[in-house]
Amino acid sequence: MSLAIIDAREWQRVFDLRTGAGVEERNPLLKMVMDIQARRPYPGDLDDAGNRWVTDTALDLIAGYDPSFVYLTYARQFFVGRYSVLTEREWACMVSSVFEEVNRFVARSGFTPVIVGTGGMIPFVDFIDVTRLDGLVLSTHWSARYAGLHDGSRRDLQGLAALPEIERIVPRHEFRSLFAECPGDASRMPEYLLAARPGYMFRTVGGAFRKVRRVPAPAYAIPLAAESGVASSITDIRRLVVESLRERKIALIVVEGLGMDDFPWPHQRCENGRGWFYYEPGDAQYLTLTTGRHQVFEYPTGYKYFDEDAEKKEYPLSGYFTSVPADTIASGLGVRSLAVGNRSMLMHMAPGADISIECFARNLFNQGTMAVIHRMGTI
Amino acid sequence: MQCTYCEWRCELGDGSPGVCRMYVEEGGAIRERFPYRWSSCIPSRVESVPFYHAWPGSRCLVIGTAGCNFRCRYCSNSFVAKQDPAMIQDGMIELTPPQLIRKAKQLGCHSIVFNVNEPAVSLPSLLELAVEARAAGMPMGCLTNAYTTEESTELLGTVFSFFNIGLKGLSDAFNRDYIGIPSAEPVLRNIRRLAALGHVEVTTPVIESANDNELEEIARFLADVDPEIPWHVFRLLPEDEMKEARYPNIDAIAGALEKIRGYLPHVYFHNFVGSDWVNTLCPGCGATVIERFSLGCGGDRLRSFACRGNECPSCGRKIRLHGEKVPWNAGEVLP
Repeated sequence: MSLAIIDAREWQRVFDLRTGAGVEERNPLLKMVMDIQARRPYPGDLDDAGNRWVTDTALDLIAGYDPSFVYLTYARQFFVGRYSVLTEREWACMVSSVFEEVNRFVARSGFTPVIVGTGGMIPFVDFIDVTRLDGLVLSTHWSARYAGLHDGSRRDLQGLAALPEIERIVPRHEFRSLFAECPGDASRMPEYLLAARPGYMFRTVGGAFRKVRRVPAPAYAIPLAAESGVASSITDIRRLVVESLRERKIALIVVEGLGMDDFPWPHQRCENGRGWFYYEPGDAQYLTLTTGRHQVFEYPTGYKYFDEDAEKKEYPLSGYFTSVPADTIASGLGVRSLAVGNRSMLMHMAPGADISIECFARNLFNQGTMAVIHRMGTI
Repeated sequence: MQCTYCEWRCELGDGSPGVCRMYVEEGGAIRERFPYRWSSCIPSRVESVPFYHAWPGSRCLVIGTAGCNFRCRYCSNSFVAKQDPAMIQDGMIELTPPQLIRKAKQLGCHSIVFNVNEPAVSLPSLLELAVEARAAGMPMGCLTNAYTTEESTELLGTVFSFFNIGLKGLSDAFNRDYIGIPSAEPVLRNIRRLAALGHVEVTTPVIESANDNELEEIARFLADVDPEIPWHVFRLLPEDEMKEARYPNIDAIAGALEKIRGYLPHVYFHNFVGSDWVNTLCPGCGATVIERFSLGCGGDRLRSFACRGNECPSCGRKIRLHGEKVPWNAGEVLP
């Protein structure tokens, strides 16, 4: 049983991650994690200290658990960049700040870093309004470039094809062909995937209302800083990490919102998709990174996530996730592992680490932290 | 010309849009500035709104507009409610009432719930929407601060059949300092009226050392209106101007609420993840008749519904429910 520990500030509860049922169990590992949560309240997605929290929490966990593999995400600059008006100088300060924070972790922990940027950000240009079509267009999970069209009419398709802001309209079978070898059921995909041109974002029903200032930049390639080897594709990074782990302790560090142009470490080029398709920061990119296989059908952009949200849905604390993804990087390593980051449920779902601590923030509302203990037996 | 929608009764002459900035005077009449423009249009669990005693388990389309007639210092939706509505129109979704109903059906929604900001600032659009919703058989509910005039309270009663009314506090000092209104008297009056017109639940965010001393007085008032009123006591999530405020102590508030349940049985305490106080217990025998899971402001959800119709399965006592349990995927989904 995976345990979830909620810390809502001066108040903690333990749950079965799958069922959401309360759990009374207490043991030294649980106590260690709960103490860290109590000591390290999350400052908030936009707070200056948001990334410092990642380093401090990870260092505390390392001291208490002595892992060989650590997975970290630093995301504050992605949230601030998305929702704040920033000058170029202010953005440069953000990059400099996360650079220093990651370096602080590396220096203090002694882990060998493998650092990945999820792709840069560019100014938001405009919305593509798809709310009044005959069919239903949905864009899910922070996506800007992609949206899915359900039950579109001929008129819808003609109208969309005439919009210069739309780069392509991809039928489901065509997308399926692009990723023919990928696991997963394509039937949850919308009939058409819509891809916007750079800077544009789909305005859909079902979207959250916050004024967006920056969106993900085109990221056919993402930067990878690794002294220990070469990975030419996002799907190769897992192999690189696993091989390196034979010789040293490794920290796979994901830095959100930074691409080839503004990545502050010496880096190599890593393919971030296939053909015309590139990953935006989110579950598909994370799962591809941590499984070493493209993962485009698990929670596809524009699917009707709400249909799966019935009262019997499992993993109530894990957002739209309906199960713990299989064969993720830390789940089969056989060494102690942990994950810390400010990208909410991706932290306990994507890497599959023994222990994770993440922010429990939804739509930027800071509700505390959640720790997940997937495996109890290794301490 | 004086606006009649809320108790500010703003003078709308000379192009002034009033406190909420959503109405202007034009040709001797009050005109809505931004009709059919929605800041939100998203499917949600009705428990997330929160409604715990209305259409349990159902999927609603949560809508909102812009602007508000309150200035709550802790507003969670200040990026919509406190901004100048004119400045955020570029982000709004524009759908006529028939188009909105169609989207609700495409999203498999059972009802429409106005949330995010105050419905009184967009009443003309909502009146039109209500006509379409009624024709489509979709119930409508809302969150409201109920700072409405008696006339517009009656209008709210024609648009919506279920309400969650924000009763933020009782004292004039609290209302002046934290909410920006002179008095809660109109709100209290309207709670009584709306409880007579439809289903009412009430929500009170608790701020330590500001309104936590009023919990019992609020509960007594609600019990006097109707002891079966569900009352949602919210742990304040420090936001907006109160971002630096301390998160209220959960155990202290939970303790204070315990004795209140003796005369106001449906008291819930949530707005934080994993709350222990979100289940409905039968006031007759104490059995758990509706079980929920709280994700804080991330949305509450139904976990199990044990009532037989609207009765406790153990002792048969009536449980206050507006509408029956609705399966999550029950909505007719339009292609």
